[in-house]
Amino acid sequence: MIQFENVSKVYEHNGKELRAVDGVDISIEKGEIFGVIGFSGAGKSTLVRLVNLLEQPSGGNILVEGEDLSRLSKPGLRKMRKRIGMIFQHFNLLESKTVLHNVAFPLIISGTPKKKIKARVEEVLDFVGLTDKAHQYPEELSGGQKQRVGIARALITSPDILLCDEATSALDPETTKSILQLLKRVRDEYNLTILMITHEMNAVREVCDRVAVMENGRVIEQGSIFELFSNPQHPTTKNFIQSVMESDIPPSILSGIEERGGGRHVYRVTFVREKAAQPIFSQVAKNYQVEVNVLFGQITELQGIPFGQLVVELLGEDREIVRALDYIQRTVSVQEVEADAG
Amino acid sequence: MQVNILEFWPRILQAINETLIMVGVSLVVAALIGIPLGIALVVTRQGGLLQNNAFFKGLSVVINFFRSIPFIILLVAILPLTRFLVGTSIGTAAAVVPLVLFSGPYIARLVESSLLEVKPGVVEAAEAMGASPWQIILRVYVPEALSSIVLNLTIATIGLVGASAMAGFVGGGGLGDLAIAYGYQRFETDIMIVTVLLLVLIVQIVQTLGNVLSKKMRRQ
Ligand SMILES: Nc1ncnc2c1ncn2[C@@H]1O[C@H](COP(=O)(O)OP(=O)(O)O)[C@@H](O)[C@H]1O
Ligand SMILES: [Mg+2]
Repeated sequence: MIQFENVSKVYEHNGKELRAVDGVDISIEKGEIFGVIGFSGAGKSTLVRLVNLLEQPSGGNILVEGEDLSRLSKPGLRKMRKRIGMIFQHFNLLESKTVLHNVAFPLIISGTPKKKIKARVEEVLDFVGLTDKAHQYPEELSGGQKQRVGIARALITSPDILLCDEATSALDPETTKSILQLLKRVRDEYNLTILMITHEMNAVREVCDRVAVMENGRVIEQGSIFELFSNPQHPTTKNFIQSVMESDIPPSILSGIEERGGGRHVYRVTFVREKAAQPIFSQVAKNYQVEVNVLFGQITELQGIPFGQLVVELLGEDREIVRALDYIQRTVSVQEVEADAG
Repeated sequence: MQVNILEFWPRILQAINETLIMVGVSLVVAALIGIPLGIALVVTRQGGLLQNNAFFKGLSVVINFFRSIPFIILLVAILPLTRFLVGTSIGTAAAVVPLVLFSGPYIARLVESSLLEVKPGVVEAAEAMGASPWQIILRVYVPEALSSIVLNLTIATIGLVGASAMAGFVGGGGLGDLAIAYGYQRFETDIMIVTVLLLVLIVQIVQTLGNVLSKKMRRQ
């Protein structure tokens, strides 16, 4: 459980103030995977680093498992940090040590007996699927394998919290997927709370329960993945969603619409939940004197719920089209597409 | 009149021995001083683990001071100190004092640059895991930089071989002294060539050993 209460971080930069994090309120539940998405420089990394006090907050409170870390003594803070695992974009492994030593590191610095360390390392390496790599060195591993080492190292102290700063941003799409699935398994099997920072909407969509969108240090929007995708409010949020939904109509289709001249009726229809499965358009074609021409579309699943967008053209008499639209709007959300919308 | 190299051989062996002792002892003492100072330079600087601006600046100025004095001047300037520390101002033992003062601060700078090569992210990861500053120094900085430190100590060692050649000034002996005393002052060209060749050989051996050891330290 992580709570941000009106948290700010101000940097002095050449006498000028830079509000890297500005009045952030977020409450992350136990066992939740919470994503923070934003463009580069939005303040995401600063936000995660405030959780384990790698950065001192300038204002507000941060509670981790109910504890305010900034009130702890130095040894108290170090003890608390052992309950907070962290993984990084560039893995940050000791290049001079084997996988085994890297994973064991948090236990070594805690003075855990060797025998115990060995057993525990075997356990976590097995969990991340790297048992056979124990005696290799980081430079002999692929990016995905290095991140698995990072995850094993973060898990070895059985933390309550896992912080991920762009954990998949240095990886190719295929490896990203497998690491995200691993993070999901971490949550499911250990009931960890995961705070995930990223600039990739795909990563968020894949595993997060809830997400906050950050811009200029502020959280501009937050909610469940589903809420955000089906009803984004802020232009930046819409931007991120478009980056994965490809909801922009390809130019070739747009120009095709223009060629047909005026009087065209093109709409973007957003489906959510079971409505995505409903044969709305076949009913429209049956009950009204219109033809439905699907120009472009994508259907996906968010948190197990079907979600999709279709771009359709309605062909027919204006009066019939208005009636058909009225019918469609009763079940799903519809937006008219302008010819110059592309 | 030429000296017979074969007859002269015991004198050369003795000089080799003196050079090795001077370089070896100075290196060990200078490293014992320079390595901790190099670490101190890294951890006390702005944004370091144990940031302390006053200490960092003071140490930096002192190190720069010693580094700016030419060795030959240092050698003479500290004669009283040498006499105080080793009881005499001439001989091999006496040569060790200026050599240490010359190479300790140099090693501090070399170690500093080695440690600065350690990726800040790795240090930060250790901090995030709850490691103490000492644990980070001993278990992150030093092992991660060890390979580079060994290479840099090799450079310092070769510097010491060169500097020790000048130690003849305080009667330190060694190969350099021999080359100057016989080769330069008495025109014994053979001896000069032999001693210079031996110095070249020593440098080659030191560098090769350093390279091998450095490579070993990349994976511990
Ligand atoms: N240590 C620092 N000193 C000064 N400015 C910083 C520091 N760390 C981050 N910043 C600034 O804070 C802002 C947010 O940075 P960051 O949290 O790294 O963003 P993100 O991770 O979203 O890309 C940026 O403008 C960055 O330049
Ligand atoms: Mg960042």
